[in-house]
Amino acid sequence: MIIGISIALILASALMVLLVLLHKGKGGGLSDLFGGGFSSSFGGSSVVERNLDRLTVITGTVWFVCIIALGLLLKP
Amino acid sequence: MLTAITRAFRTPDLRNKLLFTLGIIALFRLGSVLPTPGVNAQNVALCLDQAQAGDAGNIYGMVQLFSGGALLKLSVFALGIMPYITASIILQLLTVVIPRLEALKKEGQAGTAKITQYTRYLTIGLAVLQSTAFIALARSGQLFPSCKEQVLLSQEIFPLVTMVITMTAGTAVIMWLGELVTDRGVGNGMSILIFTQVIAVFPSELINIYRLSPFKFVVVMVVGVVMIGVVVFIEQAQRRIPVQYAKRMVGRRMYGGTSTYIPLKVNQAGIIPVIFASSLLYLPQLLVTLFGNSSQPNAVIEWLAQNMVRGDHPIYMAVFFLLIIFFTYFYVSITFNPPEVADNMKKYGGFIPGIRPGRPTAEYLNYVLTRLTAAGAPYLGVISLIPIIALAVAGASQNFPFGGTSILIMVGVGLDTVKQIESQLQQRNYEGFLR
Repeated sequence: MIIGISIALILASALMVLLVLLHKGKGGGLSDLFGGGFSSSFGGSSVVERNLDRLTVITGTVWFVCIIALGLLLKP
Repeated sequence: MLTAITRAFRTPDLRNKLLFTLGIIALFRLGSVLPTPGVNAQNVALCLDQAQAGDAGNIYGMVQLFSGGALLKLSVFALGIMPYITASIILQLLTVVIPRLEALKKEGQAGTAKITQYTRYLTIGLAVLQSTAFIALARSGQLFPSCKEQVLLSQEIFPLVTMVITMTAGTAVIMWLGELVTDRGVGNGMSILIFTQVIAVFPSELINIYRLSPFKFVVVMVVGVVMIGVVVFIEQAQRRIPVQYAKRMVGRRMYGGTSTYIPLKVNQAGIIPVIFASSLLYLPQLLVTLFGNSSQPNAVIEWLAQNMVRGDHPIYMAVFFLLIIFFTYFYVSITFNPPEVADNMKKYGGFIPGIRPGRPTAEYLNYVLTRLTAAGAPYLGVISLIPIIALAVAGASQNFPFGGTSILIMVGVGLDTVKQIESQLQQRNYEGFLR
């Protein structure tokens, strides 16, 4: 059981990293961290981005559930 | 201030943005207290108490500050935004060194997007490295040198790998949350997340001080409020260089003829130099932690351990101060390019009264900026040294809640976010006015 959830968690984590990297970076890096100009982002996200968002949220939920389940199982 | 908030909540589209941001912050905090599976949460809490009683907890001062105490709890979001910041710093420095990156930066928006993408990849790489390092430290018991309890539940390799991968994914999630806030919320996501973490340590630190002595608590509060006032004052300070635009006749209509100004802030670099310097100064501490326990002490490591690890050592303070001054000039030179500004002005028929367009203008701008920064850089240095001095004089803890870096972050991000909300409000009202 523990091993199964661990493997699920590893898979979910890997998928999560992949999905996040697939997103277009919206933050302008450090340059507008702390008091840069106002970056105005016009236009909504494309269909691809929206589907990616949905997928990421689902994966994130699975990831989160896995963490909690594993945490509870491993509790001493 | 209060009216602005109520007004902000009355505009539906801004209200959604604010609520979205708050929701993300809540998620972020939840992840910061949720322990990674495989960590013995009770023992970690025990060790944390011991570490706070001694001064061992101060080793990771800056990282701990940025992670809002999540790091030593070994939570899912233990690494916080530190990998992202480090990656940004590295790429920022590399743009000066590597020609290809410099070319990308000059390309404008597309190039910047590319650099951002590189930053994201590097963040994940750094996250893998750092999580591995911390899990290894936790496994060998070096994370809490004075604590005898076993922090991890299991020493086997499979659970450890799971933990490393979980923490790496946690960093990716944080990055995504930050970008979501930038995209759909209010303010810059990453800085808001840092802001949250800095604020999160506040209540417990204040309660700690109050328990020690109520008198000290009052002193800290007064000093803090005064310092916030000073920081706001200097952050807002700017030199306005007048720019006059020439009048032009195009057909029968007149264009231009307006006079504006270029605002040059006293502290043009913002908080970034402090973060750069602290991140660099964290390296010797890491080296000492990693190699300090070997049987044959290296001369370099020993010197580092004596002079660079303790925050109240004069050499440490001097190096910190000098680094901040260096990075302030460095960062100002990266972000503000006088020849470019002068060229742009010339293109649109603008000039500074009394100074010829082109090269003399660039020289003048450079002169003014250098002199302004000469005041701004020591200011940053002094403000960030205040907690360390307080540590030496009054024996306060290094996580002194009104420490220089925390105040700079709080004020900087706070001002920025409020300004952005304000500008969105104006946008809204202006629209309504026109209709």
